[in-house]
Order: sequence, then structure tokens, then C-alpha cells
Amino acid sequence: MGLPILWLAAAAFTAGPGGGLAASMLPIALRDTGALMACVGLLAGVIGLVAAWLVTHHDFPGRAWFEWLLMLPLAIPTYLAAYCFTELLDFTGPAQTLLRTITGAATAKDYWFPQIRSFPGAVLVFSLVLYPYAYAACRAFFLMQSGTAHAAARTLGAGGWRTFLAITLPVSRPALVVGATLAMMEVVNDLGAVQYFGINSLTAIIYSTWINRSNFGGAAQLAVTIVLVIAVLILAERAARRAEARTGARESRGAARVGLTGGHAILATAACSGLLLVAFGLPIGQLLYLASRQLTVASISMTTGPLLTTLGLALAGAIVTVTGGLFAAHRGRSRSVAARGAIRIATLGYAIPGTVLALGLLQPLGIADRWINGVTRWAFDWTPGLVLSGSVAALLYVYAIRFLAVSHSTLHEAMDRRGPSMLDAGRVLGSRGLDLFVRVDLPTLAPALAAAATLVFVEIIKELPATLLLRPLGVETLATLVYAKANTALFAEAALPALAIVLAGIVPVILATQLGARRKV
Amino acid sequence: MLHARLVGTLASAALLAGLTVPAFAQSGEVNVYSYREPGLIQPLLDVFTAETGIKTNVLYAGDGLLERVESEGEFSPVDVVLTVDIGNLTGAKDKGLSQPITTAAIERVPAELRDTDSDWVALSLRARVFYVSKDRVDATALTYEDIAKPEWKGRLCTRAGDHAYNIGLIASRIELWGLDKTREWLTAVRDNLAYPPTGGDREGPKNILAGTCDLSITNTYYMGVMLNNEAEPEQKDWANSARIIYPTSEDGDGTQVNAAGAFIAKYAPNVENANKLIEFLLSDEAQRLYADANYEFPAVPSVSPSELTLSWGQLVPSKVSLVEIAAHRAEAAALVDELQFNAGAQN
Repeated sequence: MGLPILWLAAAAFTAGPGGGLAASMLPIALRDTGALMACVGLLAGVIGLVAAWLVTHHDFPGRAWFEWLLMLPLAIPTYLAAYCFTELLDFTGPAQTLLRTITGAATAKDYWFPQIRSFPGAVLVFSLVLYPYAYAACRAFFLMQSGTAHAAARTLGAGGWRTFLAITLPVSRPALVVGATLAMMEVVNDLGAVQYFGINSLTAIIYSTWINRSNFGGAAQLAVTIVLVIAVLILAERAARRAEARTGARESRGAARVGLTGGHAILATAACSGLLLVAFGLPIGQLLYLASRQLTVASISMTTGPLLTTLGLALAGAIVTVTGGLFAAHRGRSRSVAARGAIRIATLGYAIPGTVLALGLLQPLGIADRWINGVTRWAFDWTPGLVLSGSVAALLYVYAIRFLAVSHSTLHEAMDRRGPSMLDAGRVLGSRGLDLFVRVDLPTLAPALAAAATLVFVEIIKELPATLLLRPLGVETLATLVYAKANTALFAEAALPALAIVLAGIVPVILATQLGARRKV
Repeated sequence: MLHARLVGTLASAALLAGLTVPAFAQSGEVNVYSYREPGLIQPLLDVFTAETGIKTNVLYAGDGLLERVESEGEFSPVDVVLTVDIGNLTGAKDKGLSQPITTAAIERVPAELRDTDSDWVALSLRARVFYVSKDRVDATALTYEDIAKPEWKGRLCTRAGDHAYNIGLIASRIELWGLDKTREWLTAVRDNLAYPPTGGDREGPKNILAGTCDLSITNTYYMGVMLNNEAEPEQKDWANSARIIYPTSEDGDGTQVNAAGAFIAKYAPNVENANKLIEFLLSDEAQRLYADANYEFPAVPSVSPSELTLSWGQLVPSKVSLVEIAAHRAEAAALVDELQFNAGAQN
């Protein structure tokens, strides 16, 4: 599991001092990436926190709907959000065209309109589509929390805002950090959006160093830098999780909901609707509009192949990753420190950008293939050609590395909740090993397995950078298709596949949130 | 009588069998990695399949194909790699990834458009030119040195400096002017940029329409492609807002030209079909498609460019050859990094 990182570390250290791109652009890349991460973490965190607070602590019209609707932007990949919002807010898009019609302006110099393809634009777009991570983290935290502190505050006469500022905000800091960290990791991972917005992020520089400068060693050095940055983030997130565990009491009775009336209720409903509209409604509306103009035989046939490929890969990947996650969750409970340490490293994969993973895998896979062919040639006088590199196996491998953490943490939590009693009961009744696994373990973990599988499914559908680099000849996923079209200013032609990505992701996202809700018994 | 009929039938059967056998021997496939946009290359490949029965399997990627071929090594399935720039062609030969092309068709292009060892061949040419706003720019002739002047401050736009197209331009300047003068020129051009480079070549004309910039450094064929884009008619507006100027150099040298070409991979599994594909791409029919459907300049001199292309003016190519451009690419890339071109204007 640690193969790609180790390989890159080796390449980084054996490469010479990174001159050229690395030297000149690294400071800028670090600064830009850091700034982007900080701003997005903050904005997405705040949005997620406020949304979660509204939805868990209050009652207002539509609350039950918003609770899961607000997760929907998770189905939109970051690069897609970038393309959509640019189409919407660019000079030739509907917003500016309308403005020009109203004011009678002719060119962009005649009126002021914020430039979407800029740093602030990127922060906005990323935050809108990544807030669900913070939202989910905060919501889970609030639901787990004891309501006594809030009840006490209310008996002492504190209103909604004061309670929020004095109690909710400080206490939920750990959850906020967890959510914001997840969002920040997604920012580092992104390749399509940062390239589109012209932001010199670390990932974009790595890609460029390798591809445009043919400098693998330099790229490896940059990749190792990213891994270190991520490691710091993860340490922060783990510390926050421990703090969260300390402050949250495991009472099943959460804070009582405050019913909102009149103006406040309208405000809450409007806020949630507004957020949903901007973060989800606008992009999907844009896609529906563009796709409806492109509903030709050609564009449908262009979409079906990649659609089936994507679904197939996502399904296979989900199965492989969840199986791995189950295994890891079990081993993670062992008493051996080494085993737990190994699991820690294995789940690091989520934080590593797809580009870095693909980079770290390309050469080892090539070498492995040459070795395999060497063996078969010696033993059977036959060479199967490329077995691992540029194959579906390579894709599944990289998906498993990247998303193991998702399935592992879901299952780990579920096992915690389940407690040892079920398994012990099974053992007392004489069940062992495989029998115990099949008859007790699997059924009790079924909801968690399903939740983990659906989460991984969605993530694979959205995945772009690793797929781009490792895919076999003739294999196109929805993501790579959209990326290719967008990069040649032909995004509108890719509206149908883009829509397919989001629609394919919506159902699993809803499923995952419902399954997650049911676990709270 | 019966004998004669029998012999006749057998003879006819043998004749028919003889006629069908070549068809079986000809079918097969050829695997292609393409840097070129699928929209531009697929129609050509479809005609190839229709005429020869050879199936084409294409992997398109904007980047990374050479690296992929390299890591795949001797088991790489690719036969032909179609590139958008000379750098990938010479780079492939330098890395030992190509093999000599054997079809005699490559002699249809002039010697400077193919490798001395026949390891690569140019298929079509494109010039890197200035698209200028019809409304806001009066000049009808400009030099490359002109865009470095202060009157263009905040009015230039182009794609990332390290993209192959721009590297080709910068490399040609290094060959012509030397590194120091090119550094000065590129610094001034960078500081005249209206925004940090982003997007592809089509973004330039789009921003000319928007009024965000007045001059875009873009390849010639996009004008034709955008003007005839039925799937996205708004691109016609982008193209219509600009006209093309073929820039020259103050010392009289012409417009920088780059080539899209192909090479056959060293470990190609279908070498014969690969040569057939290249033979097809150099045929009059394919070259005319390059000219009429893609608005490029055919590499084969006997095929003339489309009328629309000719209407943009007379192309006087720079005397900097493709091989010379390729030789300076590394320097050009280092210059782009040194000046942090992609970060946009700094003064």
C-alpha cells in the first residue's frame, strides 16, 4: 500500500538537486496552494458548520429535507464545478450576457464583473462544492453531543446567537477541524480546477514538471513535499478527532431542537435553500441546459461507452476497496502496534493526491510487468505483454490506495459502535473463524459495508487525475472525457457526460446519508 | 463437357479465393496514442478504416503519452504516436522510443520536414500568429518584437508558457536572437500580459471578444475550426472578433512554424499497419482533409491549403527549421521557469 510513496521518496532522493521548475515555481506553488487551502478550509468550514448547526439545533420548514439535500454537492467533482461556474459567470455566460443586455455594454471593459477565473473565484467554487465534508463532520458531531450544555444556557436566558457563539462554536472546533481538513485534502488533490483557473498549485506543478519538463526526479521531489504537508494535516486532524472524542459525550439524546418561527424560520429556510441553489442548483441547471442543446445521437453515443466503463470501474473498485477496508478494520483492532501502524500508513492514501499516486505507480508497475514477462518467458516461453501497467488492475489498485481510508474509517466506527458483545456471543455459541465472520460479522456490519461501498463508488466516479495517467488504451471514463473536452474549450460538448457524473453520484450520496442516519440507533 | 464445367467451376472458385485472401491479410488493427484532439483526428482515422479495413484504437491524452510509452517499454501496445509539436517527435527519437518509418510515402514531404533517419515525419504545419481585435487594433503588420513594447501593456493574452506551442515559439526566438535578447523579449511580453496564462489557444479569441485582451498568440488553424463550429456556434463569434496577422521579425525573418507529426513506436506490434497508416496520412486525400477540415498547412507541398486559410494572408515561414526549434526546447522551458511566465505580469 505504501509502494507509490516509497518509490517516489526513492526517486526524490536519488534525483539531483531540483533545479529549473522546482526551484523557481516551488515557492509560488507552496504559497498559492497554502493560501488556497487555508481560504477554502475556512470558508467551507464555516458554511458547513453553520448549515449543520441550523439543521441539527433548530426546526424550521423543510428541515428534514435539507438535512440530506445539503449533502448533494458531494456528487459534483471539483473540476466539474470549476467548468460549470466558469460557463455561468464568464463573459459569454448567461450572467454577464444578461448584465450586458440590461446595461447595453459591449465589452468587458465597459462594466465591472468579478473575474471567476481567479484566486477568489477558485476559493468560492471549491468552498461551495466541498462544504459537505465539513457539514457532515459537524452534523455527526452535533448529533452525538449531549444537549445539557445547551439546555443550561437556555435556562440562563441566552438566546440562539449567544448560545452559538459561547457554547456551540468552541465545542465544535474539533469537528470543524476534521471537516475543514477533509476539504483541504480535496483541494490539494484537485488537478482539473486549478489548471482551469490558472492557479499554480503543487499538484499542477508536479504534473507539469513530469509531463512538460520530462523531469521525473523533480516531480518526485515535489510529490514528497506534498506528502509531508499532508502528513502535517493528518496529524492535526487526528489530534482534533481525539479532542472531539473527549468533548462529546456518547449520549444518544442530542440537543433538543429549538423551533424557529416567523422571520427566523424564513431566514433559516432561505439560507439553506440559497446554499443548495448556488452550490448544487446552479451547476446542475447549467449542465441540464447545455446537455439539452446537445441531445444528439452523436453525443449520446459518445457518452454511453465511458458511462458503462465508469460504472463498471466504480463497482469493481468499491468491492475491492471495501474488502480491503474490512480487512484493515479487523487488523486495526489487533493488539500489535506494528499492525496498527501499518494500517495507519495504508489509510494515508486518501490524503495523497491522485496525480502523486499515479506517478509513484507508473514505474513500479512497468518494472513488475517486465519481471512477470521475464518469468513467463522462462517458464512457459510466452509473454503476456502488459499485465499491470495501463490496465484495469492498475486503476483498481490506485483506487484502493486512495479510498481505503474512506471504507476503513466507516467500518472502524461501525465496529466500535457494535462493540465486542456480538462477536463474543457468537463465540460462546460455538462459532469460529469463517463461520463467525459470515454469520455474525457480515450481517451486523451490513449497513456500514453498504455505506462504505456507496461512498467509495461516488469517489471513483469523480476521480480524475490518477485515471487520466494510468488508464488502458481505449478506456475513457466520464471524468477523463469531460476533462479532455473542457481543456480544448469544448466543455459544452461534454455536458452530457458531465451530467452523467453528477446523476450517477446523487443516488449513492443520498443512500450513504440515509444509511449513515440509520446507524445512529 | 462435365470435366470442362468442373474445371471451370474450380478455376473460378480458385480465382475468387485468390481475390478474397488479400482482404483477410489486410484487416487487423493499429494502436494509436494521440496528442491531437479527437475531434481533429478521428475523421481522418475513420476514412483510413473505411478504405483499408484496418481498425484503429486510439488513446487520446493532452499530456504524458511519451512518458507512458517509455514506462510501458517493450510491451507497449502502441504502434503510432500522433503529436502536436516537433518536440515530441525529436524527444521520442532521443529517448529511443521510435523506429524508422519504411513506407516510401515519407519522401513526399521535403527533407526538412522529416527526420534524417526517417524516425519521424511531419504531417501538417501550423503557424503561431497574432489574433488581433478587429475593433481595437489598427495595425496590419506586426513584428514579434512589437508585442514587447509598452503600448501593448495589459493587452496580450496567451496560454501557459510551458505548453508545447509556446515553447516552440520561444525556442525559435532563441535560435534567431540568442538567449539574452530572447530573455529580455520574453520578460517584456510577460509584463504585457492581461492576465496570468490560463486555458488553451481558443481562450485568446474568446477574451478578445470579451474585450479583456486585444492580441492573442494563437495557432492559425483555430480560426478556421472556430468559424465553422456548428456544435458550439458561439465560437464563431469569438473568431469573428479577430483577424490574423502573420508576424515577422525585425531582421526580415518570417513567421514561426511548427509541425504536427507521427512516429512509429520502437516495439510496435503492428509495424506493417503502422506504416500503412502513415502512408495514408501522407496521401493526397488525407492531406486535403488536413487542409480543408482542419485548416492546417499540408506537409506535402503539392496539396494546397484551404481557401479560408489562404484568405488570412501570405505565410512566409521563418527560416528556423523544425530540428533547430527542437534543439532549443530545453532552454526555452528553463527560460519560462526562470521568468515565472505562468505567474503573469510582474511589473
